[in-house]
Amino acid sequence: MRRVLDEYRAISDEVLKPHEKRVPRFLEAMKKSLDSRANWTFWLPYVLSLDTCMKCGTCAEVCPVYLSSGRREIYHPAVRADALRKIYRRYFTLAGRLFPWLVGGEELTEEKLDALVEGSYRCTVCRRCAYVCPVAIDNGLLIREARKILDAIDIAPDELREKGTRKQLEMGNATGTPTPAFMDIVEFLAEEIQDTRGYKIEIPVDKRGAEYLVMHNAGDYLAFAETVMGAAEIFHAAGVDWTLNSPATGINDVVNYGVFFSDVEFEKVLRAQVKTCIDLKIRTLVVGECGHAFEAFKYLMMRLIPEEERPFEVKSILELIDQWIREGRIKVDPRKNPEPVTYHDACKLGRLGGLYEEPRRILKACCMDFREMQPNREMSYCCGGGSGFAIMTKGDFLKFRMETYGKIKARQVEETGAGIVALACSNCKGQFREIINYYKLPVRFAGISELVANALVL
Amino acid sequence: MGWLAYLVGIVLPYVALALFVVGFIYKIICWSRAPRHLPWELFPYPHTAGERLGEMVIEVASLRSLKLHNRNIWLPSLLMHFGIYAVVAWLFLVLLGLPVALLGYLGGVAAAAGSLWMFTKRLGRDLRILTTPVEYLNLLLVFLISAGGIITGFFGEGLAVREYMLGILSLSPRLPARPSLLWEIFFLEVFLVYLPFGRMIHFAAKYFTYHRVKWGESH
Repeated sequence: MRRVLDEYRAISDEVLKPHEKRVPRFLEAMKKSLDSRANWTFWLPYVLSLDTCMKCGTCAEVCPVYLSSGRREIYHPAVRADALRKIYRRYFTLAGRLFPWLVGGEELTEEKLDALVEGSYRCTVCRRCAYVCPVAIDNGLLIREARKILDAIDIAPDELREKGTRKQLEMGNATGTPTPAFMDIVEFLAEEIQDTRGYKIEIPVDKRGAEYLVMHNAGDYLAFAETVMGAAEIFHAAGVDWTLNSPATGINDVVNYGVFFSDVEFEKVLRAQVKTCIDLKIRTLVVGECGHAFEAFKYLMMRLIPEEERPFEVKSILELIDQWIREGRIKVDPRKNPEPVTYHDACKLGRLGGLYEEPRRILKACCMDFREMQPNREMSYCCGGGSGFAIMTKGDFLKFRMETYGKIKARQVEETGAGIVALACSNCKGQFREIINYYKLPVRFAGISELVANALVL
Repeated sequence: MGWLAYLVGIVLPYVALALFVVGFIYKIICWSRAPRHLPWELFPYPHTAGERLGEMVIEVASLRSLKLHNRNIWLPSLLMHFGIYAVVAWLFLVLLGLPVALLGYLGGVAAAAGSLWMFTKRLGRDLRILTTPVEYLNLLLVFLISAGGIITGFFGEGLAVREYMLGILSLSPRLPARPSLLWEIFFLEVFLVYLPFGRMIHFAAKYFTYHRVKWGESH
């Protein structure tokens, strides 16, 4: 593919349309993004991050892409975000309009726009940089805002929009699985559990008024079925009133790719998911092992949908399992998982979600030998599957994921000496599957639910 | 030159103070009236007012983020910031009638050395790729004020400075006893006018980025 920023391409020319005049539309959309009413969802952190970066470079010292690439300038978090700041200064500040050379304002050209598009897909918005910034400037947020502006002028990865949010709204899930096929999969999984465990469990689907609706990332049914089966075994063992749901009830996929690139798409998907929960009259929505969905339902939803319009609780499956183990509602025997296990903190569950202790308590209860990866928790390195990257592979993009984030992560995993990497996020699983393969690591990954199910004492 | 002294010593102080106050208040109002954005905090973060204050004090006093993650510029930055704190403290003490010349000079030396050191750090590859002319100018301005205070003897003239400032504040302005102090007064006026509109406002912006964004605001 044509080179625009580096040797990779996240977005094809088909979407990018390099021969059209896009700059005026971009500037128009950016103007709107700077309006506090039009962009109320992120206006304050957005303008603070545009205006007050002191250019100290602390962000770069913790950025996995910058560090692993041998400190390439184009991957410097502040340089990457400066692509947007330069436009902001040149067109939307007085000083920049009068003296652009002085304050770093720059004219936007079609070529620079191409580079900005690619640059905004070289960051997973893991926000490790925002955590350490002395002024708490968020270069990750600026990347997300750039993606929002680009989405407004119809530049967004197909994987996230056409085959992501749009497909999810149309089909009920982003995998495009219709109801009959979904039912078959569930039946198959129940048989699979019977074959491996030797007992039969019922997996309820579309049950109205259930205490718990467990909504997984629909991709898990196809790619990480062990997680789905593990969850079913755990809910069965807990003896609670629960259900899965099929696309016949609305949305049966907990993902919301809008989190990654568009508030507009985000809100559409979120409202459809909330409507599904209301229609099913459930009391608690259990977010399966999916990082960004937890962020969406636990935090981003708070001010977008008023409390009275969402008459149900939201819990991560990790919170529930942790609670049940502590209450003794489910019994586990760590001897059933004798292999050394390490845990990777998904950015959206940890740094953005605050779930640090829950997965650790669970793993320590279910595994004989739990080992911390270094660094961990708030300083955990993003695996490189975040913000949609896990499903983006074209134009050598997989190689970018492996040679940057993946390189650091592979080394971290090796250093623990663990045989299993426990993961609680589908994007992380998608990325680790590739990392293990690419770096030929002698490890396997497992969902938390899978390890818990394996340790269950009935 | 009488008119120039009059301009710098009598007229500009009021203009500068007015622009500073208006600009500063405008910025603060602009940020505090921002619509409540979607929750975007980072974990873990301090919850009680006491914990938050503690974190703020540690960060401001030790520049902990730089110390932990960007050691390369920690000392120069610390030196410059401590110098500025000392000069500001000296000014307040002078107003209170306690002209501690040593504090002013030490602050001036630290800020001048720190800003120069930062300037050379900025010329290194990792920071140069980020730096626009305005970052160099900001450092030069800090250098100019601190070095100016030393060279003109401003920090040693506490009593004259106090008399002059009281004259300004009581709306009966008089030129300072020593005309050489006008240089430093001019630099300070430039600084005041520039402060709310440049990046040096970060000391105030920081309150919002921490309290309203990074540390959450609702739970």
